[in-house]
Amino acid sequence: MINNNRHHSQFQLALQRFRGNKTAMACVFILGFLYFSAVFAEFLSPYSYKDEQRQYSYCPPTPVHFFDQGRLTWPYVYGLQLSFNEFYKREYVTDVNTKYRVKLFASGESYKLLGLIPTRVHLLGVESPGRIYLLGADSRGRDIFSRLIFGGRVSLSIGLIGVLISFTIGLLIGGAAGYYGGRVDNYLMRLCEMVIMFPGFYLLLALRSAVPDDFNSVQVYFAIILILSFIGWASLARIIRGMCLSLREREYVLAAKSLGVNDFHIITQHILPHTLSYSIFAVMLSIPGYILGESALSLIGLGIQDPFASWGNMLSDAMSIVRIKFAPWILWPAFFIFLTVICFNIIGNVLRDCLDPNLKGN
Amino acid sequence: MFNKIAFQNRRFALIYFFFLLFLFPAISQSQQNPQPGGQLVLATTSDPKSFNTIIAKETSTSEAVEFIFDGLTKTDPFTLKVGPNLAQSWEVSEDGLEWIFHLREDVVWSDGVEFTADDVVFTFNDLVFNPDIPASSRDIFMIDGQPFAVNKVDQYHVKFILPVRFAPFLRAMSQEILPKHKLEKVVKEGKFNSTWGIDTDPREIVGTGPFCLIRYDPGQRLVYERNPRYWKKDLNGNTLPYLERMIYLIVQNSDVELLKFIEGTLDAYSLRGMDYSLLKPIEQKNNFTVYDRGPDLGSQFIVFNQNPGINPNTNKPFVDPVRLSWFQNRDFRRAVAHAVDKEKIIEIVKNKLGYPQYSPMGPAVGFFYKDDVFKYEYDLNKAKQILKDAGFSDRDGDGYIEDQEGHQVEFNLYTNSGSTERVDIGGILNHDLEKLGMKVNFLQLEFNTLVSKLTSTFEWDAIIMGLTGGVEPHFGKNVWTSDGQLHMWNPRQETPATPWEKRIDELFSEGVQELDEDKRKIIYDEFQMIVSRELPVIYTVLSAKLTAIRNKFGNLKPSNLGGVFHNLEEIYIK
Repeated sequence: MINNNRHHSQFQLALQRFRGNKTAMACVFILGFLYFSAVFAEFLSPYSYKDEQRQYSYCPPTPVHFFDQGRLTWPYVYGLQLSFNEFYKREYVTDVNTKYRVKLFASGESYKLLGLIPTRVHLLGVESPGRIYLLGADSRGRDIFSRLIFGGRVSLSIGLIGVLISFTIGLLIGGAAGYYGGRVDNYLMRLCEMVIMFPGFYLLLALRSAVPDDFNSVQVYFAIILILSFIGWASLARIIRGMCLSLREREYVLAAKSLGVNDFHIITQHILPHTLSYSIFAVMLSIPGYILGESALSLIGLGIQDPFASWGNMLSDAMSIVRIKFAPWILWPAFFIFLTVICFNIIGNVLRDCLDPNLKGN
Repeated sequence: MFNKIAFQNRRFALIYFFFLLFLFPAISQSQQNPQPGGQLVLATTSDPKSFNTIIAKETSTSEAVEFIFDGLTKTDPFTLKVGPNLAQSWEVSEDGLEWIFHLREDVVWSDGVEFTADDVVFTFNDLVFNPDIPASSRDIFMIDGQPFAVNKVDQYHVKFILPVRFAPFLRAMSQEILPKHKLEKVVKEGKFNSTWGIDTDPREIVGTGPFCLIRYDPGQRLVYERNPRYWKKDLNGNTLPYLERMIYLIVQNSDVELLKFIEGTLDAYSLRGMDYSLLKPIEQKNNFTVYDRGPDLGSQFIVFNQNPGINPNTNKPFVDPVRLSWFQNRDFRRAVAHAVDKEKIIEIVKNKLGYPQYSPMGPAVGFFYKDDVFKYEYDLNKAKQILKDAGFSDRDGDGYIEDQEGHQVEFNLYTNSGSTERVDIGGILNHDLEKLGMKVNFLQLEFNTLVSKLTSTFEWDAIIMGLTGGVEPHFGKNVWTSDGQLHMWNPRQETPATPWEKRIDELFSEGVQELDEDKRKIIYDEFQMIVSRELPVIYTVLSAKLTAIRNKFGNLKPSNLGGVFHNLEEIYIK
C-alpha cells in the first residue's frame, strides 16, 4: 500500500535502533512472557481461579523443599494446618510427617487448552491433598499465583482491545476533521474537547453507572472496554487532525483527489499511513491508561466481579493496612500492574526516539 | 432499631425509625475524686448531613448530636430498665393509657432559658406529629395510625394519652426534646426541614445534654465543649460533666482511624476482626485496653425478592415470574440456608471473632433472644436433597439445575461495593451455590443505588445486606409487619401475602399491647420461630464488638447495648 522503498527502509532502520536498546528489548520479553502466560493460563496455573480451599485462608507462600535429611531429593512440600494464636493471628503449622511431592505436568482440574483441546494437564501441581501456593493464598484460600495468571488475561487484554477500538475511532475522526477542515473540523474538535474536558476517572465512574446493573461478568468486561475506549480516543484524534491538516496539502493527496478517489479511501490509504509512526508509540504509551483504568474500577468493586480475577479486583483485598501487614503477598497484583505499565512506557518512549526521522542520520 | 440499613462500620447507615438505646444516669458509688478537665477524641468516617435530629435518616447525624440532647427517660444498657432523665418520675393510670410525667425543675437549656413542659409538648405535637415534617421517629409513635395526645398539665407536668396500650412506651420516651424557644418560629414558617443544617452557627443548636457543639469544620472535625448549665451533679455536688471538651475527628476510612489510634491521637477505636491481631499484642506498650462487648446487635443476611408486584412505569413485573416462583418456595430458601458456611465465614471474614446468627433477635438482645429456633447447619448434600425433593435437578446435564418447567436456576446476587466483608460473604456463598448447581451472578453496586433498589425500584433478585438492631422487638416493626416500609422481600402489602406474614402481623400488634414482659417474650419467641422456619431473610454471622480504649479514663463502663461512652458525663481523666 505504501509504495516507496525509502519509507520501508526507514522503518527497518527504526526497528534496528529499537533492537539495539537492551532495556526496551527486556521489556518486550517481559510483556511477551506475560501475554504468553495469559494465553496459556489454564496450563501454567496449578489451580483454577475459583478453586477455593477455605482452610487455607491467607496461607503464606509454600516453601518447596529440595533436601530431605541432608540428601538432595525430588522437590516436595509439607502439609499445613491452620490455627489461630491467642491474638487471633493465623498461624500455619508445618506437619513434617506429611510430604507431598511436586509434580510436573500434573493432572488437575479439566479445561480446554486455547478453548479447543480438552485436557487435565497442568504444568505444575502437587500430590493431593497437599496444596502448593507459590505466591501465597488470598482470604478464601485461592492460589494467588494462579489468579494472577488468569487476572492477566483480563487486565492485559483490556489494554489491547481498548486501544484498538479507541484508535480506530481516534484515527477516523482525526483524519476526517483534518481532511475536510472547516465546519466538520470545528464540530468534531469541539466534540473531542468535550470528552477531554471531563476528569477521566469521574467520567469513567459516570459511564459505569449507566451500565445496567444486571450485566454478568463477560458483559461487564466488554462494557468496561467500551467505556475506556470512549474516554481514550479524543486526545489522539486531536493530534491526528493536526497532522492531517498538513498532509492533505501534499501533492499525492491532491493527485488522488483529482483522479476522483473517494474521500474515505484517501483518508485511510493516503493520509493515515503517514501518521503511523506517531500512532505506534502513542498506542504503546496509552495502553497503561487502559490497564490502570480497569484496575481502578475493579479495585473499588465496580469492574470485573468476583470470582473472576483481574489484577484490580485482586488488589481490592489489599485495601486494608492490617491485611497487608499480616499477608503482604496480597500485594502481588500491584507489582504486576507496575511491571506492565513500566514496560509499555519504556517501549513507547524508545519507539518514539527510534521512529523520529531526525535521528535518521545518526 | 432494626431500622437502619447498615453499610459497615457505621458509615452511610440509614435510620428508618429511631434509636432505642439511651443512656442511664447511674452514678458510680466508688469514685476516687474525679478531677474536671481534659478531653475525649473520637473519630467518625463521615460528615453529619445536618444537625436536625428529628429528620435525621443516617447515623452520621444522630451520632453528631447524641450528647447535645436528652430525652425524658433513659434505658440502662446493662439491666435494660428504664430510668429517669429529664422526667424525674411518672405515673400511669390503671388501664395503661394515661401517663403523667413529672419533669425536673432544675433543667435549663444551654443558652440559659428554662426547660418546661412547653418544650415537651412542642417536640411531640409540632415536630414529631407534624405531617409537614418527615420525622424519622413518627412511625413508632403512631399506634394503628393514630398519634397519642400530649398535653401540658402545668409548667412541670405533661400528660400523654395513648389510643391503645403500648408496651415500649417508656423506652420510646427517650425521644430527644428540642427547644421550643429556638424552633417555634421556623416551624410556623414551615422552614423546619431546612433548619439546623450543617451551615448553622453552632451556638444556635441549644440542648439540655452534657455537651454543646461549638465548632464544625466540614471534613475535619466536630468540637464540643461541656455544657456549664447541665443539670446533673455528682455525689459531692460538683456539676457534671467532668470532661472539658469532646472532639470527633472526621477521617476518610477505618484504616486512617486505626493509624491515628495507634499513634495516640484518638482515645477509642472500634476493631474489625483482623485488627485484633495487631492491637492486642501492643495493648500494654501503647497503654490501652481492648474491651470485648459481645455480639453485635446488627445483622448481615441474604434476602430474596418475593415481591409479586408490577412496575407501574414499565408494566413489567419487579421480579421475573419464573425466578419469583423459586424465591417464594420455602424449600429453595432452606437449601440456600444450608449452603451458608457460617463457620468459615466467621474464620475468614471476622478473623474467628464472630457468632453465627439464626433469628432476627441476636444473642446480644438478652431477654427477648430465643436460642432454640430452627437452625440450618452447613451441609451441601442436605441442600441438594432439599432442592431435589422440591423439583430442582440437573435435567440437561450441563451442571446447572433446572426447575420443573426446565428453566435453569440463575439469578443476580447484589451487595454494596466498598464492603470487603459483604463481598467476601457473597463470594463464599456464591461458590457454594454454584456447587448446588445454581448460576449466580454476584454483583457489587454502589451503596445508595443498592438501597434505592431495595426500597423504591424493587427490581432485584437477591441482596446481601445488613440492618442495625436493638433490644426492643417492636421497633423492628417496619421490617417485620407486612405493611412495613422495610419489609424488604415484599414491602407495603395491603393484606398479608402469606399465612405466616399474617401471623407475624398479629404477633406484633399483640406484643405491643401486652404489658407483662414474660407474656411478651412468648409472643416474640413465636415470631422468631416463624422467621427462622420461613426464612424470608437468611442470616449469616455477627461480629464480636471489640473496642480499644486508652487507659486514661475513670468511670468507664463500656456496654454492648448503649455504646462505649453511654455515661459520658461522669467519665473523667485519671
